[in-house]
Amino acid sequence: MPKKGVLKSALDAHKNRNYKLERQRKQEKAARKRKQAAEPLNEDGESGEEGGVQLKEPVNVKDNGEKKSKANGTKASKASKASKNEPEWETEESESGSDDEDVPDETALGLARLDDSESDISGDDSEEEAEDDEEDEAEEEEDIALSDIESLASEDKGDIIPHQRLTINNTTALTAAVNRIQLPYAKLAFSEHMSVTTDEPVEIEDVEDDLNRELAFYKQALSTVKDARTLLKKEGAPFSRPADYFAEMVKSDEHMGKIKQKLIDDAAGKKAAAEARKQRDLKKFGKQVQVAKLQERAKEKKDTMEKINILKRKRSGADVTNTNEEDLFDVELDNTETSGDRRRGGSDGKNFKRSKKNEKYGFGGKKRHAKSNDAMSSADGRDFSHKKMKGKTGAAQRPGKARRMKSR
Amino acid sequence: MEKGRWWGRGQKTRNNVRASSGQAMPWAGDLVERKNKQRVLILSSRGVTMRHRHLLQDLYSMMPHSRKEAKLDTKTKLYQLNELAELYNCNNVLFFEARKGKDLYAWMSKAPNGPTVKMHLQNLHTMEELNFIGNCLKGSRPILSFDAAFEKEAHLRVIKELLTHIFGVPKTSRKVKPFVDHVMAFTIADGKIWTRVYQINESEVGKKKPAADGEEMDVDPAPKKKGGKPEYDVSLVEIGPRFVLTPIVIQESSFGGPIIYENKEFVSPNQIRSDLRRAKAGKYNRRTEAMTENKIKRGELGLTTHGGRKKEKDPLSDSVLFA
Repeated sequence: MPKKGVLKSALDAHKNRNYKLERQRKQEKAARKRKQAAEPLNEDGESGEEGGVQLKEPVNVKDNGEKKSKANGTKASKASKASKNEPEWETEESESGSDDEDVPDETALGLARLDDSESDISGDDSEEEAEDDEEDEAEEEEDIALSDIESLASEDKGDIIPHQRLTINNTTALTAAVNRIQLPYAKLAFSEHMSVTTDEPVEIEDVEDDLNRELAFYKQALSTVKDARTLLKKEGAPFSRPADYFAEMVKSDEHMGKIKQKLIDDAAGKKAAAEARKQRDLKKFGKQVQVAKLQERAKEKKDTMEKINILKRKRSGADVTNTNEEDLFDVELDNTETSGDRRRGGSDGKNFKRSKKNEKYGFGGKKRHAKSNDAMSSADGRDFSHKKMKGKTGAAQRPGKARRMKSR
Repeated sequence: MEKGRWWGRGQKTRNNVRASSGQAMPWAGDLVERKNKQRVLILSSRGVTMRHRHLLQDLYSMMPHSRKEAKLDTKTKLYQLNELAELYNCNNVLFFEARKGKDLYAWMSKAPNGPTVKMHLQNLHTMEELNFIGNCLKGSRPILSFDAAFEKEAHLRVIKELLTHIFGVPKTSRKVKPFVDHVMAFTIADGKIWTRVYQINESEVGKKKPAADGEEMDVDPAPKKKGGKPEYDVSLVEIGPRFVLTPIVIQESSFGGPIIYENKEFVSPNQIRSDLRRAKAGKYNRRTEAMTENKIKRGELGLTTHGGRKKEKDPLSDSVLFA
């Protein structure tokens, strides 16, 4: 492989010619073999010509023109190659005879010939085609055969034009075939054949585009159905199935049940998916709402606490706060005062203290252990004072003797 | 006389017509006598997969004029099909040839003397796997809908005619149902024949009362005294199966004879597969090639220890100066 690559790069420019030579030699060899097998008599006369074949193949093609014109391109490429050498050793009058004697390769060619001659009878235009094809073949000598290209990777063969298979399109034979089997549509009632052709060809830009392609098919079918329907109605043929006509269907009930189940499942799945998505969204949104509400509440609480503190300071601090501040908070302070009053007085005229006491000492409910310490109260260190713990408070009451004497 | 092949077994009738009417032209009679007689032998080769078999079954269920046969043993001696068709009085053959357990080729032929079309069948989806809600009567006759492109080229006309004969259910078929409730559409796109089967759904437009047409009587038992035109909205629902046919070759006679058409653009699935494989292999090959080339280049520049050119001696190296 690598060797070939190097070679290829080295001989890139000369490749075509070399290749051609190689193949010609191969063909010569093959031709010589066949000749020896088939007609040992002609040998001496032909060998001189063989030499001529070697380098100027295109000339040969022209020499054989009158023969080649019979071939209307219906041969496989291989057969066509062989045919170029064939006339060199084959005498004109013994064409059919030599075909019979040939090696199997040649019999195939012979068959192709026969076919060609048959199709020649059917029409004149095939001869024109033949000439065209001949030119094509001459051009194709420059190309590389498909079989040689196969060994290359697809990236490597990007710019090489392979042989194209010669297409066979024997129009006359095809037309004859159609005429042979065609129903006499003009004389048939439409209800006999029921085939409709659209007026305009269906055009689909992109075959890969599933939706548009199917739509085009649908449209075609629909338009033809409408045409056919009117035609059938005109002929008085039954068209629609009556509602009470029951018969076996193409798809069994079981099958239809399966389809229905599938549809239901699909629909249910879709619905469930939509529901789940909705829930998910709601959850996400709900969380946001909750968080916002909590924040709002916390903020509100903070605000009130601040205001209460300010108020407290104002009351206890004996007008330490300057009047400016007071002015600033005037309205709000009033508000807080009123709210404080309301709290103090209870919402419905009840004593706030009383209600608190009720809460603490019980007005109903459990009375035991209510005053005993619990974890919270024992951990509460607000009332603790180390001074109180020292117990010195009483000792300083009576001054010393000297002081007492002095004061006297 | 050769035109009369499509009459099928109508030899006797034709003679009678001629005898009774005394006309030289058998076609000059009235329309009533003309019968489209088709019978289709439908079978596959061995080695079909489940999907291929189901497709065959689907088609068979929609073709009351068809005769299903056991799988054919051979893939080479297809001319045997002609004898089989004769045995079952069929004048059409629809033969599915499976290769390698994956590729399906459809042969369509007019049995005694051609032509034959060989097509590659792709994108196969059977009714079972498609889950379409359409349905139709078993044995009702389809409307065959063809793309106008079928008339453009000779080989397509041949194919169209064959499709008409094979998939069109003749009126006189034995198990046929008298109503038309599905349509078979053949469209040419991208050089291929795309096949779809739809159910025909008729629904009334608005609440207009349908007219008193003869066939409409069956359709709708609702009151229809007024002579207004029936307003029906026709819609289609797909039934299945779906498949795509690529014409490959047309032969002049039935499973034999000269090839009168060959599709140049057709690439066999084997080729495609091998190309894919080769493209994969090419990656490795190119890399190795590049590596070897690189090695050679380096060797030529004298940069390698083994092989290639030897490194030139530096005239200023220690070994030269202090030799």
